[in-house]
Amino acid sequence: MREVVKAEKGEVYDIELEADILKANERLAEENKELLRKHRVVTIDVMGAIGSGKTSLIEKMVQVLKEKYRMAAFKGDLTTTIDAELIGRHGVEVVTISTGKECHLDANLVRKALQRIDLEKTDILFIENVGNLICPAEFPLGSEKRVVVVSVTEGPYMVVKHPFIFMEADVVLINKVDLAQAMEVNVKKLQKDVQKINPRARVVATNLRSGEGVKEVIEALGL
Amino acid sequence: MTTQIVECVLKEAEKHEAKRVSEVHLVIGKITFLNPEQARFWYEVLTKDTIMEGSKLYIEEKSGLVRCSKCCYEGGFKYEDDPIYHFPAPTLSCPKCGGIVEVVGGRDCLIKRVKLVL
Repeated sequence: MREVVKAEKGEVYDIELEADILKANERLAEENKELLRKHRVVTIDVMGAIGSGKTSLIEKMVQVLKEKYRMAAFKGDLTTTIDAELIGRHGVEVVTISTGKECHLDANLVRKALQRIDLEKTDILFIENVGNLICPAEFPLGSEKRVVVVSVTEGPYMVVKHPFIFMEADVVLINKVDLAQAMEVNVKKLQKDVQKINPRARVVATNLRSGEGVKEVIEALGL
Repeated sequence: MTTQIVECVLKEAEKHEAKRVSEVHLVIGKITFLNPEQARFWYEVLTKDTIMEGSKLYIEEKSGLVRCSKCCYEGGFKYEDDPIYHFPAPTLSCPKCGGIVEVVGGRDCLIKRVKLVL
């Protein structure tokens, strides 16, 4: 009979576990990215605070791009489908990803939502994250480009207060610039704050209500 | 995140039919969104009435690592030293040449080691 070595009762087992909690999400994000690349879908992840203009950005881009591309959107929200209706009225397919109580989307929820759309009939996919300037930065979803929307109504210090999310961004929008004077916010200073943290990011000043700056955003995203 | 850490350790302990968990060693990256102070608080709450209750939690913080494609610098971040920051804010500028760096380390949330009492 083969000898079996067993632990004694009360023995201390020292295990090199090497388990990274965040790596599971990173792996799924890579899988999402690969799947999207295989189907030639350009995916853009939109992050930003509540009310900064994330949904408005997607609406405006869809309006400008709908003749050229077939588009779909995932809309992360805690409870309602209000924003999904707003985007959906422009004739694009929208899947609401309900996070329930969570403050961010993760690669697993996106992976599930990807099964709900026809990737062969999609050229561009927008993923709107939950309104939050903190947690979404930690969870890559598998998108090609990450956009952060910040608005002047959030005050003059939003960028310096949340440096981490701006490190993740390819394009940063400074929105509601029409209200900058009333809010006593210096748009150029906000732009500089972004560039200091992330010199790689393109910064565009926008007024998404009128459509000002949308063309530049589309250009910055290479669409 | 602490919930996931505790769940992961409990699963490992169950696998080995351990009676108790005595030590948990974490490695947390400098730019991971996990505050050690808060992690300790939740660790205590979440491990109560489990075989992890009373176990020692060790947290090692790992500094960030960036790489510059222009000058090949590899090392720590360039930090924004504005006095308004009470927490040094890392930037994606190369501390050596001012080029753009890529983050290659410091995002860890690793359960490095556990000690189980069998």
